[in-house]
Amino acid sequence: WINTTFMAFCHIYSLVMAFRACLEEVQLNETLTHLKTESETLKSKLEDERAKLHDVELHQVAEKVEGLGQFVMKTRRTLKGHGNKVLCMDWCKDKRRIVSSSQDGKVIVWDAFTTNKEHAVTMPCTWVMACAYAPSGCAVACGGLDNKCSVYPLSLDKNENLAAKKKSVAMHTNYLSACSFTNSDMQILTSSGDGTCALWDVESGQLLQSFHGHAADVLCLDLAPSETGNTFVSGGCDKKANVWDMRSGQCIQSFETHESDINSVRYYPSGDAFASGSDDATCRLYDLRADREVAIYSKESIIFGVSSVDFSLSGRLLFGGYNDYTINVWDVLKGTRVSILFGHENRVSTLRVSPDGTAFCTGSWDHTLRIWA
Amino acid sequence: VLPRMSSKAHGSNNIAHARRTVQQLRIEANIDRIKVSKASADLMNYCSEHARNDPLLMGIPASENPFKDKKHCTIL
Repeated sequence: WINTTFMAFCHIYSLVMAFRACLEEVQLNETLTHLKTESETLKSKLEDERAKLHDVELHQVAEKVEGLGQFVMKTRRTLKGHGNKVLCMDWCKDKRRIVSSSQDGKVIVWDAFTTNKEHAVTMPCTWVMACAYAPSGCAVACGGLDNKCSVYPLSLDKNENLAAKKKSVAMHTNYLSACSFTNSDMQILTSSGDGTCALWDVESGQLLQSFHGHAADVLCLDLAPSETGNTFVSGGCDKKANVWDMRSGQCIQSFETHESDINSVRYYPSGDAFASGSDDATCRLYDLRADREVAIYSKESIIFGVSSVDFSLSGRLLFGGYNDYTINVWDVLKGTRVSILFGHENRVSTLRVSPDGTAFCTGSWDHTLRIWA
Repeated sequence: VLPRMSSKAHGSNNIAHARRTVQQLRIEANIDRIKVSKASADLMNYCSEHARNDPLLMGIPASENPFKDKKHCTIL
């Protein structure tokens, strides 16, 4: 008798559990549907709010600005020494030194005035996709397929083995695509193929903040000019450019108008806007206070992707390095191209304007770097 | 060609992801915005204020640009 009752209880119990599971699943599906609907509603609202303020185009407002004349910019220096594709470069604050990194695993520090190599480090991995100069000029950071960002203090003794003092700071679960010191040598911001960005303490290697929100590899980042506060912008393979609050880790604005991977992002010097360069062969300007794209820099004849962008000191010129080996110079306000520069014999992979704006440097898959002025 | 390995797929918890998306959209939808006309005017002002200090825009003489070659004098 006890056995039968027990069996009955078990049977009822399993029926009740099955019923509850069904109920839960129905509730979950309802919640999911509800959330998706709310998501769509919010997206519409976002578009509407942005559209309400779209009263004019930037280039229309800029019609009254004087046009730019002819530009004569030439290669003034060629830095030769890398054995393979140059992938990244950065200027030192002293306006003359440059760090560059290459597919061959080498990181080289150059004096751009004399073209002399001052330091060279061989990384334990190939494809060193990211490098950055420390604000003090006393160290460089780099990384790539090793999934890490390492800091090398630069020694005054040219014979010293830099690799011996190497410090591993960042650890991602996929390749390192970009890195940048913040205002001091003490913190580094990184972006990775693992879809995240992260802020690290250099001394301890501790993760201070992580930034989640991209749906695919993050390819680039740029810190806001120090006057405008603690934000940075990142661009990724999900075609999105996200603006982040460094303290909270929160994504505060997101822009999705590019049609392909965003390879490069750079803040406008005032900090109120940023430019992006993409595999869709366009550069775009996004104004942060208007919360929308305000300009597209494109031409039908330009069909190759943009690898890298940077502004001149006043923000009037935007330089773009392209996969068709050229550099296109754009009038930021009017939206027109003012110059096209030739010289590299393969893709331009990286481009940065010098800290005092007197020149810009490009790195290329042709193994060289060029200084233009 | 650059290796582009995709990050792992979204976690199996679709609800948590959907909730995060909604929260994120709420934040983005509620920020203060200004008109494009005002934003454009500000960008233009910044450009004009800083134009004269922009060497690549203005072009500076070779004597002031360390990268431009100066005319060489030979000592006979």
